[in-house]
Amino acid sequence: MSLKARLFSREVLPFYLALGALMALTLLLDALLHVFNLVWIGRYLGIPGVLLILGSFGYSLRKRKLIGAGKPVQLLRWHEGMAWAGSLLVLVHAGIHFNAILGWLAVLAMLVNVASGLTGKFLLDRARRRLEEARQRMRQQGLSAAELEDRTYWDSLTFDAVKQWRAVHFPITLAFGVLTLAHLVAVFLFWGWK
Amino acid sequence: MRRGWLMALISANLAVLIALVFIYPHLMVSPGPVVSAHAEINTDCFACHAPLRGASSGRCIACHALSDIGLRSSKGVPLVQKTKGLKASFHQELIEKDCVACHSDHRAPRLTQRSRKPFSHDLLRVAVREQCASCHVAPTDKLHSKLSANCKQCHGQQAWKPATFDHGKFFVLDKDHNATCETCHTGSDYSRYTCYGCHEHTPAKVRAEHLKEGILDYENCVECHRSGDKHGLEKKDTRRKKDAHRDRHKD
Repeated sequence: MSLKARLFSREVLPFYLALGALMALTLLLDALLHVFNLVWIGRYLGIPGVLLILGSFGYSLRKRKLIGAGKPVQLLRWHEGMAWAGSLLVLVHAGIHFNAILGWLAVLAMLVNVASGLTGKFLLDRARRRLEEARQRMRQQGLSAAELEDRTYWDSLTFDAVKQWRAVHFPITLAFGVLTLAHLVAVFLFWGWK
Repeated sequence: MRRGWLMALISANLAVLIALVFIYPHLMVSPGPVVSAHAEINTDCFACHAPLRGASSGRCIACHALSDIGLRSSKGVPLVQKTKGLKASFHQELIEKDCVACHSDHRAPRLTQRSRKPFSHDLLRVAVREQCASCHVAPTDKLHSKLSANCKQCHGQQAWKPATFDHGKFFVLDKDHNATCETCHTGSDYSRYTCYGCHEHTPAKVRAEHLKEGILDYENCVECHRSGDKHGLEKKDTRRKKDAHRDRHKD
C-alpha cells in the first residue's frame, strides 16, 4: 500500500467516517421520530445527551489529576464514546429546525468541539504510531539511547502538535460549556415542567 | 501566552453573546415569534412566563379577563364575531383555567407540527357540554329547523361532519335504493319524502297494487315499507295495515 493510500485509510477516512456517521445517524433518528409522530421524544433527548457529555468529562478530570480513579487509557475510550453518543442525542434534540439562536450557537459550539475532539484523537493516534515505528526502527539499527533521543526529536514534535491541539480544544470546550449552560438556564427559567 | 490570548478572546465573545441574550431575548431565547397581537410584549418574556414555572395562566388572565374573552379585546374594544355558527364565547364555561392547554403564543417552526392543540369539548363543564346551543347557533336549513332532537343523535363532538344520522332507522338504502337525497327529498326538504321520484314507483302503479290488496291508506309508504324488501316487512305490515283499515271502517 502506498504512503498516500495508507495515510487516507488510517487517518483521513476514520476521521470523516466518525463525523459522517454522526450526521447520518442524526438525520435517520430525526426522520424516524417524524415518521412515527414521536417528535416530542426529541425534545427530551437533550437531557441524556448532556448527561453523557458530562460523564465523558471523567477523563478530563483524571488527566488533570482532579480524580484518582480509573485507567486513563480506558477513560479516554469512554470519553470518546460518550461524547460522540451524547452529541448524537443533542443533535437529534436540536433537530433540523431553527429555533432560538442561543440553542443553535450551543449546537454549533458542540459540533466544533466534536470535530476538534476527533482531530485530537487522530493526531494522538498518529503521533503514537509514528514514534513507536521510529523507535523500533532505530533499536533495530543498534543506536544508543542518546542517539535514539536525538533522532526521535523531530518525531516528538508531533506530540507537541498534540499539546498545541489541547491548548485549542480546551477553550472550544469552555465556549461549548458556557453556551450550553446559558441554554439550560433559559430552558429552566421559561419552560413549564408539567 | 498564546493560549491566554485565545482564552481572553473566547471569553470576550461569550460575554457579548450572553449580553445579547438580555438585549434580544426574542431572538436569542424565544422558540419562535409571538402572535402578532402580542408584538408589543415581544421582548418581555416575563409578561407571560413565571420564572421556573413556564407560561402562567394567571398572567394571561391578568390581561385577558375571563369574563371578556370572546366579547371584548384586552383593551375593552367589543369584538365582532368572526366564526359563523359559533356564539360569543365558551371560555367562561371551562372546567379548568389552563390557557396553555390550547394556546401557544410562539408560532412553531415551519417544519414541525403545529403546537396549538385543538379544542376539546372535554374541557367544558359537563352541564354545558350537553347543551350545544349554549355555544353553537342551530342551523336554519329545512332539515335542522324542524328537528327537536338533540344534536348528538347525529353529530359527534369531534367535528360537525360527517354526521352519524342512521337513515336505516327510517328506510334502508339498499342497492336498489342507492339514490341521491334529491330523488326522494325534493327541494332539499328532509322533513318530507316521495317514492314517486323513481320510475319504478309511479302513482298509478302503486295505487293499483295497493287497492288490489284492499289497502286504501298507502300514501305514507315508509309506515309499512321500512326497506325495499318485498317479501319481508311488506307482507306482514300490509296485512296489519289492511286489518287496521277494516277495523276503522267497522267503527
